[in-house]
Amino acid sequence: MTTMMLVPGFDRVVELVPGERAVAIRNIPATLPVFATHFARFPVLPGVLLLESMADLAKAALGDGHWRLRTVRGVRFRHFVGPGDQVEIRVEVTGRTDQTAQVRATARVEERVVATARGLALVAAEQPWEGTQ
Amino acid sequence: MRFHLIDRIESWTPREQITARKVTSVAEDCWRPTPAGPVLSFGLALEALCQSATWLMMLSTDYRLRAALLAVDEACAPRDVVPGDVLRTHAVVESMSDEAAVLAGLVTVGGETVLEASGILCSLMDAERLDDPADTALMGRQLLGKGAPR
Repeated sequence: MTTMMLVPGFDRVVELVPGERAVAIRNIPATLPVFATHFARFPVLPGVLLLESMADLAKAALGDGHWRLRTVRGVRFRHFVGPGDQVEIRVEVTGRTDQTAQVRATARVEERVVATARGLALVAAEQPWEGTQ
Repeated sequence: MRFHLIDRIESWTPREQITARKVTSVAEDCWRPTPAGPVLSFGLALEALCQSATWLMMLSTDYRLRAALLAVDEACAPRDVVPGDVLRTHAVVESMSDEAAVLAGLVTVGGETVLEASGILCSLMDAERLDDPADTALMGRQLLGKGAPR
């Protein structure tokens, strides 16, 4: 299913197949407040924010319920992402039970791979979440 | 948001280890909504640990080098961070040269682990390329509790 639906944190959803995969675009304008301090002489998007985008899209790809990112494995940041870039994030669900899911993710800028995550492990979140009582 | 996720450096040993602290507040704009209330994202908890590591690199090299995150072998967040928590980050150097460093570390709240990471690979870059050295040194003094130079 290709859809025009919105996924929070993304500017465009290219593809969303619930339970299987998703592709979405996140634009990186120079106006992002994070660039004021990261870094003053060389603005670059923090890699952990790319990781967060991967996790957000993974949750959208899982399609239902509330999911919490618990573990990441094999995360690689290959190139800097900065103002003006358009980041395409792709996630693929590689395993799932009722309570857990495994997702693989890749981020590209103009076909160049800028970051990869071999595995994002998400767990179904039950209310109240652990640590929030 | 202001992307500084360390408020104090509590102890450090050059090229070996650092312990730092971040207090969280509901007044910050870093919280993610969940069905059970706001939580700090996994990525920002990991970033707090990585920023501790980069301060250790800067302090160990007299602000000559700072770390850029290249890879994380594994990181796990067994519970969420919520407003009001005080994070204590502890990073340990496993190897370090003038080009790269590998670290591992923990983030705890009240002695309970909220994030653990291993195989944190950082490229060490010329710190002047990223920030004004005077600004960095001033912030370092503040983090170490030494205040502004008179």
